Amino acid sequence: MSFEFTTENKKKFEDFLRRYPQKKAALLPSLWLVQEQQGWISPESMEYLAGLLDLTPAHIFETATFYTMYNMKPIGKHHIQVCNSICCCLRGSEGVVQYLKKKLGVNVGESTADKRFHLSAVECLGSCGTAPMMQINDDYYEDLTEEKIDQILEKLK
Amino acid sequence: MELILSKNWHVPDQRKLSVAEKNGAYSSLKKIFGMTPLQVIEEVKASGLRGRGGAGFATGMKWGFIPKDNKKPVYLINNFDESEPGTFKDRMIAEKDPHMIIEGMIIASYAIGAHTSYIYIRGEYHRPWEILEEALKEAYAKGYLGKNILGSGFDLDIFQHRGAGAYICGEETALLSSLEGGRGYPRIKPPFPAIAGAWACPTIVNNVETLSNIPYIINNGGAAFKKIGTEKSAGTKLMSASGHINKPGVYEVEMGLPIRTFIEEHLGGVWKGRKVKGVVPGGSSFAPLTNDEAMRTNLDFESCAAAGTSLGSGGFYVMDDTTCMVRLLQFTTKFYAHESCGQCTPCREGSGWIFKIARRIESGNGRERDLNLLEDVCSNVVNGRTICVFADAMAMPVQGFLKKFRNEFEEHIRLGKCPHG
Amino acid sequence: MVKIKIDDKEIDVPQGTTVLQAAKANKIDIPYFCYHSKLSIAGNCRMCLVQIKGQNKPVISCREQVREGLEVDTKSPEVKKMQKGVLEFILVNHPLDCPICDQSGECVLQDNYFKYSKSSSRLEDQKIHKPKDKPLGPLVTLDDERCIVCTRCIRFCDEIAKTHELCVTQRGGHSEVTTFPGKALKNPYSLCTVDICPVGALTSTDFRFKKRVWFLKTAKSVCTHCATGCNIKMDWDDASVYRYRPRENEAVNQCWMCDEGRLSYKSINDATRVLDPLMKKEGKLQKVEWNEALQKVLSVCGGSLGDVKVVGVLSAQSTCEENFALYHFIKNGFKNSKFLATKKEVKNSSHDNFLIDADKNPNTNFLPLISVGHLSGAADEFPTGGIYFVLDHLTEAQKEKIIAANPRLVVWMTSNLSESGTWADVILPKPTFAEQDGTFINRQKRIQKADKAFEPKGHAKPVWETLAELAQRLDKPVSWNSAETVFKTLAESVSALKDLSYLKIGDQGVMVS
Repeated sequence: MSFEFTTENKKKFEDFLRRYPQKKAALLPSLWLVQEQQGWISPESMEYLAGLLDLTPAHIFETATFYTMYNMKPIGKHHIQVCNSICCCLRGSEGVVQYLKKKLGVNVGESTADKRFHLSAVECLGSCGTAPMMQINDDYYEDLTEEKIDQILEKLK
Repeated sequence: MELILSKNWHVPDQRKLSVAEKNGAYSSLKKIFGMTPLQVIEEVKASGLRGRGGAGFATGMKWGFIPKDNKKPVYLINNFDESEPGTFKDRMIAEKDPHMIIEGMIIASYAIGAHTSYIYIRGEYHRPWEILEEALKEAYAKGYLGKNILGSGFDLDIFQHRGAGAYICGEETALLSSLEGGRGYPRIKPPFPAIAGAWACPTIVNNVETLSNIPYIINNGGAAFKKIGTEKSAGTKLMSASGHINKPGVYEVEMGLPIRTFIEEHLGGVWKGRKVKGVVPGGSSFAPLTNDEAMRTNLDFESCAAAGTSLGSGGFYVMDDTTCMVRLLQFTTKFYAHESCGQCTPCREGSGWIFKIARRIESGNGRERDLNLLEDVCSNVVNGRTICVFADAMAMPVQGFLKKFRNEFEEHIRLGKCPHG
Repeated sequence: MVKIKIDDKEIDVPQGTTVLQAAKANKIDIPYFCYHSKLSIAGNCRMCLVQIKGQNKPVISCREQVREGLEVDTKSPEVKKMQKGVLEFILVNHPLDCPICDQSGECVLQDNYFKYSKSSSRLEDQKIHKPKDKPLGPLVTLDDERCIVCTRCIRFCDEIAKTHELCVTQRGGHSEVTTFPGKALKNPYSLCTVDICPVGALTSTDFRFKKRVWFLKTAKSVCTHCATGCNIKMDWDDASVYRYRPRENEAVNQCWMCDEGRLSYKSINDATRVLDPLMKKEGKLQKVEWNEALQKVLSVCGGSLGDVKVVGVLSAQSTCEENFALYHFIKNGFKNSKFLATKKEVKNSSHDNFLIDADKNPNTNFLPLISVGHLSGAADEFPTGGIYFVLDHLTEAQKEKIIAANPRLVVWMTSNLSESGTWADVILPKPTFAEQDGTFINRQKRIQKADKAFEPKGHAKPVWETLAELAQRLDKPVSWNSAETVFKTLAESVSALKDLSYLKIGDQGVMVS
């Protein structure tokens, strides 16, 4: 399945190029754009970016896999990322992970069968003062309790 | 105490340019365009401002490292990678007063001769990124950015560059690798970024909080800033307080505030009526303090250093007396194992090994020799044995926890399980 | 020049040298993995850490520039602990594969471990598991668990092959070297990554599991696949060649060679080797004894030949010695002679700006020295009714021309026979260049020596030996009785090679004027 930026994204890409003295620097923003467009970084999209940026596909691949936030395979629609780091641990993050595992019926690193949710445990999200917390796609959900979690997930279709 | 950074956080819509301007935002620009870049640097030097990202390096001195005879483009990078566990203050500045950040960047860029500057913002901070995008748009529209700012002849573009989930990109040379489109690999120093940084050009990397202090310094003078705080730690510090306290959050305190005062008066004391067992004052990458040590230490660079830890990024977390330190060390070492970039041998292999030993001790399968082993492994990664100081950041908490709470580790091993249940 | 001190030794080194280079030049051992003299500095293995007097932090010697008065300690207890530490870290996840790993016996990790550590493992946890036995491309197999992420292979593909096919993916302890999914490592120098891999992570799919390296003997030789003449180490055992590895020659191939050339060793072991003399009897080739074959040749060549031309068809594929022996034999022994030469022409021949020459003839520059020109394709090139001595291979067209020229006799001296061969009357088996000393003159006009590795296989005889016997029986004896003495005669006959000898050519070759 070949990949191409939408017309709008193509314009955004051109704008990225103007921001940097070298093309390669547009790679991270371009990967975000790919993920926005199709939810994950497919091999075809990496070959496409290689062509746009005058790089080899290996260049794209090595960069994309270094960072945890680029999805290298399709995942559930709502990516639940529970902070599992030190300060959240002090405020009960393990309980949140266990609760979500039970509620969604998946292990950490898995998507629900209906592809609605994907559960990850991640490192410090910079929200230690409102721990325990989680990020779902772009949004932070803080000061979690089991009730709050139920409410949040209920709203996500 | 006069608030410098959080002065207008309580103001509704301080994010909006029109509101921020009413509260003095961008008023320093007229002043700097009447100064030479060198004069701006001197003012910052006089302030005694030290980096707020964790290393505490003198900001004015850093700016002065740009070679005088440089003919290449100069870049200012705002390090908004904020990923040190316990730290969330830069996010607060961006969400509450984004224009302060932009103003600080304009002054810094002018001082070092940068016409293109970047905010390297961690990928997870989507809301702060949105807020800053909006603020940048407003700044451009008002003529504070772009060509010929306020008729000064000074051009400046500021762009945001999103990271994508890598703590190591907070290390300045790894940040540069990431900015340039590659893996976040730290680079061997020298050369230092001020000589050869982004695209081999002179580059200054400053933390968000550091840059946010600059407008005050210009508006009130370096001397005024120096009067605040302590001899070696001028100004205020944003402390990100979390853990077992009643009032977690971001607090601006004067440098030198005793930790005891901070906990009892600002943070509402330890939660649930419990007692302090340990305190990490400056982020996970340094040794913890026992209760006794914490009660004798102040929130400034020199006091924390004398206590064998660091003020670091001000990521301040408190552990109460029910905390299992072995468990906490497991979570700490897990963090470093996940975040090691993997470039050099000691850290790549050592980070995972240290985590495995810590986890094994916590699960009740530790052996007596494991404690000396941990210490020996740590001694093999620190102090120049690796490309960057990530390995030192990994080792210091391990060495610190073992030193301060060794009996807990021994008990875990002896009992074959966690005594805290 | 600057004066520095490494341990107790005071040495003078040129400005711009690193401490590691200075140590190597002065035979001081500093261990390393990721450093390679032809690649950029990575500084990631940390094995070469040393202490500098006056500095409290150690430095990596591969990157530390020398300066006047520098004092380096490579033997202090601290340095020794660092070396042990790095080796221990590598071995935390490195599998104990030595019993099944090809690299065993030529492994930098083994060598460094035995020299700088010998400590027992303190690991009591699980090692990280990664893909083993992963084909990276048609020629290279990767074992990710053994990889120490030194990035030599990555830098090679970036800087020498200039393809950036390999990359490190993921991060931390889970870092894995790989190619882009679905893409193979197939630059024309891919097997060089196996050479430079310090451990058994990258292995040659061709050589895998074939031979323990301590059984291999090594001859200093030259690749014969094209006119570049990359210097090689020919590794063999039991009269079989197992592999080529590049041999250092800064002027010719530095320390690299191409995959095509590297795998051309197979022709030496090939099943198409002809190991006995063959004679055409009733239209078919039959095995005969040497004596019978030589008798046949003598029966035609002996006695007065009148106007009959004796034609030597020389070859840019054969050594100088083989070519000259035939040339001299004919010139010395017969009144009417003519010399032609063949060279291998390949359609759409592989070539690049580096080591792969479109000219696939290893001895491309010898024949001009004895003024023998290559076959031009002219109608009357092959004298009618001549006696033909042919070295190496002819094209189909050339064979037809010989047949059409109604030769009295065709004697073909070759090492491989992969066709019917009945265009020749007598086939005399000659050894490959692996089984005899020989020289080649490459595209740069450099004469290089390929050492004999093992004795000629089967009943093959060097060309000079066969011709010396024939010359003897024809009462026109020649002075030479070995490849070296053939070369001596050659050097005396050709001004461009004056004063040269095997000793003078050495193992790096000599430019020919």
